[in-house]
Amino acid sequence: MTRQPRLAWLLAPATLFLVLVYVWPTLGLFRIAFNEVGPTGAMIEAWSLATWRHVFADSFTFELTLNSIWLSLTSTFLALLLSYPVSLFLFRTESRFRSLLAVIAIMPMLVSSVVRVFGWLAILGDRGLINSLLQSLGVISAPVRMVYNWTGVTIGLAESIMPYMILALLAGFGRLDRTLEEAARSLGAPPWRTFLRVTLPLSLPAIALAFGLGFILSMSAYITPKLLGGGRVFVLATEIFEQATTNTNWPVAAVLAVYTLALLLGLLALSNLFSRRLQT
Amino acid sequence: MAYLELSGLTKRYRDSVAVDGLSLSVERGESVALLGPSGCGKTTTLRMLAGLVEPNEGVIALDGAEITRTAAHRRNMGYVFQSYALFPHLDVARNIGFGLEERGVARAEREQRVEDALQLVRLQGLGHRRPRELSGGQQQRVALARALVIRPSVLLLDESLSNLDAKLRDAMRHEIREIQRSLAITTLFVTHDQVEALTMCDRIAVMNRGRIAQIGSATDIYERPATRFVATFVGRANMLPAERGADGRLTLWGEALPAAAPSGGEVDVFVRPQRLKLAPAGEPAGADMARVSGHVLNSVFVGDHIEVIVAGPGGQRLTVEIQSGDAPPPDGAEVAVMWRAQDTLVFPREAA
Ligand SMILES: Nc1ncnc2c1ncn2[C@@H]1O[C@H](COP(=O)(O)OP(=O)(O)O)[C@@H](O)[C@H]1O
Ligand SMILES: [Mg+2]
Repeated sequence: MTRQPRLAWLLAPATLFLVLVYVWPTLGLFRIAFNEVGPTGAMIEAWSLATWRHVFADSFTFELTLNSIWLSLTSTFLALLLSYPVSLFLFRTESRFRSLLAVIAIMPMLVSSVVRVFGWLAILGDRGLINSLLQSLGVISAPVRMVYNWTGVTIGLAESIMPYMILALLAGFGRLDRTLEEAARSLGAPPWRTFLRVTLPLSLPAIALAFGLGFILSMSAYITPKLLGGGRVFVLATEIFEQATTNTNWPVAAVLAVYTLALLLGLLALSNLFSRRLQT
Repeated sequence: MAYLELSGLTKRYRDSVAVDGLSLSVERGESVALLGPSGCGKTTTLRMLAGLVEPNEGVIALDGAEITRTAAHRRNMGYVFQSYALFPHLDVARNIGFGLEERGVARAEREQRVEDALQLVRLQGLGHRRPRELSGGQQQRVALARALVIRPSVLLLDESLSNLDAKLRDAMRHEIREIQRSLAITTLFVTHDQVEALTMCDRIAVMNRGRIAQIGSATDIYERPATRFVATFVGRANMLPAERGADGRLTLWGEALPAAAPSGGEVDVFVRPQRLKLAPAGEPAGADMARVSGHVLNSVFVGDHIEVIVAGPGGQRLTVEIQSGDAPPPDGAEVAVMWRAQDTLVFPREAA
């Protein structure tokens, strides 16, 4: 017990760093959210709720919220469908190339989102890979719109969060034990029943963890909705950026940012409550 | 043809042979132990039977039908895993009822059979507990009940008692044996513990390096070990190099051994410590008795007996077991060691 205070010093560097680069700017953000914008568009130091009233009286804020949540839910769900089998495979394989395969699976993390978006444009665009292929096969006569709309953003976002979800799933698979599946099989359960009755229930904590992470990443993603949405997809993150840069309306941007943060914390608390139910 | 027939079963892994041409016949209702040191292929054999590992070669036949490549879920084997493998997300009753649900047994009958199974393993009233809320012994019983409730063709137990403390292990040993007998269920019992094998099974298959070294009753294995390995693995053993006299007959520590010597080659003499008797030095051997003399190195009190270590003229040692009530001779005393000639076994010397 006497060791504990000394042990705590190990946390000091990280704490200091986080305070400098995270807590301090966040506090600044809170401060700006209570400033006002003057008639010239310049920010006026104040302690006012005017910006808050303005933002929440605007029905667009409500629309952005729904858009953000909907986009995050769909792309996280899509990413989950794709990452779950991959993670299960990586978790189980006894291949010598397991680590290599894992690295390949999370490789997209190493590529900048901007580059990735251009990759998707080349694949999903009107003259992209898929459309050219379908057209040359005669399946379609006119290109199908898959970029600069919700479809493109959902696909792009799902791809960008997949590596993180794969990692989260792998980390969460702790209770998944091969022997339990063997026990189910020896008791007469065919493979698909074994999956439904043993594998899936035991991986629910991992799924909850990965879903939460994917959702947060989707909610705060800016580049993918911006570039793949082609100015037609409006979510909280793009709006914050617009307000902060194009409109240089910092107070509005700050209010939206604080609001998004609160929203995320609320949803996180909800999911935490939910996943605790799952664990018992 | 026996109820369960394994013939020429072989399983190779990348750089080892886990099971090497193993053949075994088990009669209906019989209980057979697979006894052997860790890594000799016991678990692999059991897993091949359950359909969890596919053999490279060989045939498994159950009740006249070949099941070598039958999928695990179609085999109806009751497998009790070493780690129990209870489903942590299901309560005890649903763990036990798992196999019944898979067989589409109607709810009313299922509940009745789960209840009966709980009773059989003396866990009435614990159906609603989660596995982690049970002690090791209770978890073991749930695993057993779960495997029994499906009325398996064969019950497979993998080192099922090794995770329990000594006292509980003793109790479970008798309990499992009783259940096995009363249900007359064909059982394969894997263990590295000879006491378990000797007390729980009708026959014992001693395994070494993926093969069966000897199969027989407990008495066969203990009194007439077929190989050196069996002799030293089961029970305590003295194994000493024998010399050959001018006439080709065997001698030990310079004294003639009344034991048949296989012609040619170096041999070792085997005799169990509890078959040896101590006598005053110089006492002559009776008819059909073997005798050597040496001096006492030391005596060790082991609870239910005393081990007296006797050194011969060449420095070789014999362990003699005497009852713990008897007083051991003092260290350094000259003694004679005697035993019945029929208790002597001779094995060819193994290439080191
Ligand atoms: N999945 C596997 N991959 C490679 N080698 C294995 C595997 N399973 C078992 N073995 C090897 O096969 C041999 C027998 O193992 P096992 O059947 O578990 O022995 P036991 O149960 O008698 O201790 C061991 O040498 C073990 O290392
Ligand atoms: Mg084993």
